[in-house]
Amino acid sequence: MRYLLLSSCLVILAGCSSVYKNLRPAVGDVSHVEKFKPDFSRALYKTEVDVVGRHLSGLLLIKTLPDSSVRMVFSNEVGFKFFDFEFKPDGGFKAYYVVKQMDKKPVIKTLKKDFELIMLREQDIKTAYLAQDDHNLYYIIKKPKGFFCYVTDKDGTQLERMEISSPRKPIVQAIMKNYKNGIPDTIGITHKNFSFTIGLKRIDR
Amino acid sequence: MRKTILFFIVIAVFCHTLKAQPAGYAAVPDQAKFTEQFTTIAKKTETIKSNFVQEKNLSMLSDKITSKGKFWFKKENLLRMEYDKPFEYLMILNKDNLYIKDGKKESRVSVKSNKIFQQINKIIVGCVQGAVFNNPDFKMKAYESKGNYLVELQPVAKTLKDFFKTIDISVDKKDYSVTTIVMNENSGDNTTLHFTNRELNSPIPDALFTIK
Repeated sequence: MRYLLLSSCLVILAGCSSVYKNLRPAVGDVSHVEKFKPDFSRALYKTEVDVVGRHLSGLLLIKTLPDSSVRMVFSNEVGFKFFDFEFKPDGGFKAYYVVKQMDKKPVIKTLKKDFELIMLREQDIKTAYLAQDDHNLYYIIKKPKGFFCYVTDKDGTQLERMEISSPRKPIVQAIMKNYKNGIPDTIGITHKNFSFTIGLKRIDR
Repeated sequence: MRKTILFFIVIAVFCHTLKAQPAGYAAVPDQAKFTEQFTTIAKKTETIKSNFVQEKNLSMLSDKITSKGKFWFKKENLLRMEYDKPFEYLMILNKDNLYIKDGKKESRVSVKSNKIFQQINKIIVGCVQGAVFNNPDFKMKAYESKGNYLVELQPVAKTLKDFFKTIDISVDKKDYSVTTIVMNENSGDNTTLHFTNRELNSPIPDALFTIK
């Protein structure tokens, strides 16, 4: 059954695309991708956001609370808060605060999805399928309007990139690297369909 | 019946006093006089050089982000804040122009074109110069303890109300200098700027505020 589902996913992926057309089903343990799940018990990042010609910088604090929810608070260097998001352990989401200029549904939805991609949430991993081409392994998670895709090297030891994809092509690409004690030092998120990038560099406490 | 009404009035007044007064402080009896004294001394302040510690307190996360740096102010409207820990960030306000150097990235903004910066400018420079106490955008209440004044500013304007519940300014009674600014958000979070090693009226070259 799983194989059938995976095959149909791949058919959809390959059907109208050039990007994923060479993918074929792979056998392996999808839970292996969990080793790239960042440990956001507490991490502070210097953050740069460039969005359609505008530049924002600040600090993003990511912290896991005792109830296992993950809070993300982004404020500028002077302390002015841009947003405060909560990712609940059951997959739920709450925006506690969003500055008026950013308080628009598409903006919040985009940010939510971008952060969900890098968090490798448990409920997503459970539904993952494995595919491969000649060079990489692809951990694919079906989403209502496309896929989350975690691309590793052939052995599954290096996370090369993460993608939010439409059925045809990636619309967001992200990297997460230089893990120290489970916390990535560098995170980069780039949107392909409009000018929007997020760069995070960890600040040691 | 009259006794009951009186009882409730006493309770109401008592509760109001309790709520209004920060612990260890009593209301300043003559606020106009305090503002005048502060403004008179602030007028004599040509420059301020100080270190600062900034704390962003996140109540729901039980966490805080601490940063440190140096602060320079020169009359009338020159301000330089240089963060050096745990990140490097430079902000220079030269009259109506704001320059930000964030790592290698530089940006210049006309404060006039940005309402939020206009307000932040008005608040920080206003705090230093005392003008904030006469700013009609705020309702002011002043309190005093043995060594300090505590000025609570409550925003009146809608744009400011969205950002701040109150701004609390601690003033040293000795020299009327601002020691701490606490910006309280509606969420319960706040940002505290604490000034240390203050030097008043020592010469500061204009070059420190030049925006290239």
